[in-house]
Amino acid sequence: MLVRVLLQLTVVVAVMTAVSTAAVVGRDRLSKTRREYRDRLKSAAPITGILAISLLFNSVAREIVPDLSWMIGWEVTEAFYNIEGGFVLWVQSYATPVATTYFSFVYIYGYVFLLVFPVVAYFALSDTRPLRELLTAYTLNYTLGLLCYVLVIAYGPRNMIPELAEALLYDTYPQYQHLTRQVNRNTNVFPSLHTSLSATVAMFAYRTRDVYPKWMLAAIFLAVSVAVSTMYLAIHWTIDVLAGLVLAYVSITLAERFVGRWSASDLIEEWPLVKRFAERWESLRR
Amino acid sequence: MRTTLAYVMNWEPPDSNGGVSRRSLLAATAAGVTVSTSGCMDLVQGTIGQDNSGQLSLSITTVPADGDREGVQLARALAENLEAVGIDVSFDMRSPLEFHRAILLDHDFDLYVGRHPGGIDPDFLYDALHSAYATESGWQNPFGFARIGFDELLERQRSTDGDERREAVAELLRQLTREYPYPFVPICFPDEFRTVRPDRFEGWDARHLGTRLGYLGLEPRDDATELTVAGTDSRPSRNLNPLAAAYRGRGTIVDLLYDSLVTPAYGDDGGEYRLWLAEDLDWDDASVTVTLREDCRFHNGDALTAKDVAFTYQFLADTALGRADVPSPSPRYRGRAAAVTNVERHDERTLTLTTKAGRAASERALTVPILPRDVWWSQVEDATDQNQSISQGTWDVVTGDVPAIGSGPFELEDRSEGETVTLTRFEDHFTLREDDLPGPTVDRLRLTIDPGSLAAIETVQSGSADATMSSLETHALDQAREYENVELLESPSRSFYHVGFNVRHAPFSNPHFRRIVARLLDKARLVEDVFDGNATPTAVPVTDEWVPDDLAWNGEDPVAPFLGSDGELDVEAARTKFESAGYQYDSGGNLLARY
Repeated sequence: MLVRVLLQLTVVVAVMTAVSTAAVVGRDRLSKTRREYRDRLKSAAPITGILAISLLFNSVAREIVPDLSWMIGWEVTEAFYNIEGGFVLWVQSYATPVATTYFSFVYIYGYVFLLVFPVVAYFALSDTRPLRELLTAYTLNYTLGLLCYVLVIAYGPRNMIPELAEALLYDTYPQYQHLTRQVNRNTNVFPSLHTSLSATVAMFAYRTRDVYPKWMLAAIFLAVSVAVSTMYLAIHWTIDVLAGLVLAYVSITLAERFVGRWSASDLIEEWPLVKRFAERWESLRR
Repeated sequence: MRTTLAYVMNWEPPDSNGGVSRRSLLAATAAGVTVSTSGCMDLVQGTIGQDNSGQLSLSITTVPADGDREGVQLARALAENLEAVGIDVSFDMRSPLEFHRAILLDHDFDLYVGRHPGGIDPDFLYDALHSAYATESGWQNPFGFARIGFDELLERQRSTDGDERREAVAELLRQLTREYPYPFVPICFPDEFRTVRPDRFEGWDARHLGTRLGYLGLEPRDDATELTVAGTDSRPSRNLNPLAAAYRGRGTIVDLLYDSLVTPAYGDDGGEYRLWLAEDLDWDDASVTVTLREDCRFHNGDALTAKDVAFTYQFLADTALGRADVPSPSPRYRGRAAAVTNVERHDERTLTLTTKAGRAASERALTVPILPRDVWWSQVEDATDQNQSISQGTWDVVTGDVPAIGSGPFELEDRSEGETVTLTRFEDHFTLREDDLPGPTVDRLRLTIDPGSLAAIETVQSGSADATMSSLETHALDQAREYENVELLESPSRSFYHVGFNVRHAPFSNPHFRRIVARLLDKARLVEDVFDGNATPTAVPVTDEWVPDDLAWNGEDPVAPFLGSDGELDVEAARTKFESAGYQYDSGGNLLARY
C-alpha cells in the first residue's frame, strides 16, 4: 500500500514540477543552467549536505523523540482546545466533498510540490544565494521543529475531539495514513511543519517576485491552501498553524544571516583543514 | 498473600542452575507479611486534589482517537458531566503503549477510560480485584482495590463449580455493585466485527478470530499458501514478550507463537476449552494429572517436557526465580496461574498439578503459555548478572523483547517495527500430526499493521490481506458493509469499555464518591451516540449467561441509574448527592477537594 502511494506521489509531483518548470523557469534559464550547473552544484553542495544530514538525523531522532518527550515533554492538547475553542470546527463547518478532495490533494501533493519546485527554480538562477538560503531555511525548519516536538506533546483535533472534528483526510483516503505515519507521529503537531515550510517557500517566492512573478502568485495561493488544509482536515490546531508561521519567519531570518556570514568559499579559505580536504576532493574528481 | 508463600515452599528447587535459597524463602515470608498489610493502602491520602481555589481537580487518562476513537468520546462525555458538577477535569492522552504503562505498571492515574480484555470465564475478576494483587503491576488489580471480606467471595467462585458457582458469581456481582462499590464501572460490550475475504480461504466463521484457533484450520482455496491479516495495533511488531502487560492486547499473535495446555474455544462446536498441548487431563478432587502430547518441541528444537510446564508455573509466580529478596510475579497470567499451588513431575510427559480451585478456574489456569525453561533461565541469569534491580512487573525479563521461542503452530520469521510481523508454519507442531485438531494450513502468516480500522478494511478490500485481525472500530462499520467482496463477521464479545478508578488516593478512595461518579454515565445514551447502537450497555463486567436477573440491564442501569434523563444530567440532583456524601461546594459552585 505504501509503495503504491509513494509511487503515485512521485509521479504526480514530477509531472507538476515538469509543467511548472516549463511554464515558470523558461528555456533561456534552463539552457544557461546546462552550462553552469557544475559551479552551481559546487556552491550549493555544503548546505545540501547539511540538509541531508539533518533530514537523516531527523528520521532517526523521530524514533526516539516520542519516548523522550513522554519523559520531559509538556502535554498541551487540552490547553490548546481550551484556548482556541472551536475555530477548527468552524473551518470544518464549510466542508463539502469537493473541498475535502481539494484540501486532501493540497495536503499531500500540493505540499510536496511546494517544497520541490523552488529548489529546481532557484537552481536555474545564476545567483545561487536564494537556493542556499532556501535550503538553509528548510534545515532550520526541520531542526527547530524537532526541538519543539520534544518539548511539546500535543494531539491534533481529530484525536482529541473525534465526535466534533472529523478526520476528513484519513476517513476519506485511509491510504494516505500509510504515508504520513512514515514521516510523523501523531503527537508531533506543534508547530505545523506543513505550514512553516509552505510559508517559508511563499516568503521566498515573494522575495524573488521580480524573477518569478507567476511563481509568487502560485506559491502564496498554495501555501495558504496548505495552511488551511491542516485545520480543515482536523490534523492541526490553529495554534499549531500560527506557530508554524512564526517558525517560518525565524527560519528565514536566521537563514539569511547564516548564508551571509558563512559562505563555503570563506570557510575553505579560513580553515586550512577544510581547504586541504576541498583540494583533495578536487583532485580526486579529476 | 498465602498464595505466594505456598508457592515458594512447595516448589522443588530447580535442579542444576541454582535453587530457591533459604535466604530468599525467609525474605519471601517477610514480603508476605508486608504486602498483606497493604489493605490499608487507601487510607493514605493522595497527592492529587486541589488547585489554588481549593476546587477538586481530576485527570482522565485515555487513548487519543487514532488509538481508540470510541474511548476518547466516552472520556469526554464523562468529563463534561464531571465539570457540570463542579469538578475541574483535565485529560492525559497517551498512546496505547503509554496508556497501559501508566495504568498497569506505574499506577499513575486518577481515573481512566479504556477497554478491558474481559474473560471467557468470570474468574478473571479474581485477577482484577483480589487484594493480594493491589500492589502488583499488570492487569491484576490496577485499581488498588482491597476490601476485607471481598477476597472470600472471589475465592468462593474460584473454588466452586456448577450451580453453586453460578450463585457464588451472582453474589460476588451483587456485593461488588452494592456493598463494595466498584473500583471500575463497566459501560458496554462493543459488538465485535471483522472483515474477511472468502475468495482465498474458507471456514472463517468456524472459530473465534480473537483467539489462536481462529487462524488455524482455515481451508485454502486455489492452493493459497500465505495468509495475510491486517491489524491496527502495532505493539506486536515492537515486542513479543508474552508477559509484557503494556504490549499485549488480546495477545492473539503471542498465542500463535506459544501453546498452552488447553485452549479457549468459545464460538466453537466444543465446550469452553479444548485440549491443546495436553493429550489427556485426569481430574481428581484438588488436582489434575496432565499427559502431554508426544514429541512436542519448541521452535529452537528443544523438546517440550513436563519440566517446562513445571517451570512455567513456578516462573509466573516468581519471575526472579528466587534471586530477589521478594518474589516477583509475572504481570500477565499471574492471577490464573495462582490457582495452581504445586506441580509434581512423574516423567517427561506426565505431571500432576495441585489446584486450590474448582474445575472451571483450574481449567482457566491451564491456558497460560508454556515457556521454554532454558531460554527463560538464561534471560533471568543475564538480567541478574548485570545487576539489574528486579522490580515486579517492570524489569527487563517481563517487559523486554525476549526471543520469541514458543512451541506454537507458527514461529517468528521476521518483524519490522510498525509495519509487519511474519510468522512461518512450525513443521513440528502436533496439530500437523493429529487429524482432529485445526492446525496451520499455510506456510506463512503475515500481520500487516494498518493505521486504523478504515485503512485495515481497505487493505482487505483491495486484496492485500485476507482478514482484519483487530476487531473493527464502530465508525468503520458502515464502510465495511458497503464493500461487496468482503464479508462482515461478528463474534461473541467479552471485552468491555470501562472507567477505572485509582482507589489508592482521594477522592476515589471514597466509595460514595465512586458511586456518584458511576451515576454520571448515561450508558444507554452513550451506546447510541458513540457506538451507533453497536454495543450492549451493561451494569456488570460479565456476559449474559453469568448475570443474575436482578443485575440484568432492563432499559436502564439496575445498579447505578443515570442521574438525569435522555442524556441530560440533572445537575442539581447530582450536586445534592455529593453534598449528602459530605462534599462541599464553594460559592462559585466548585466542588471542594477537602472533605
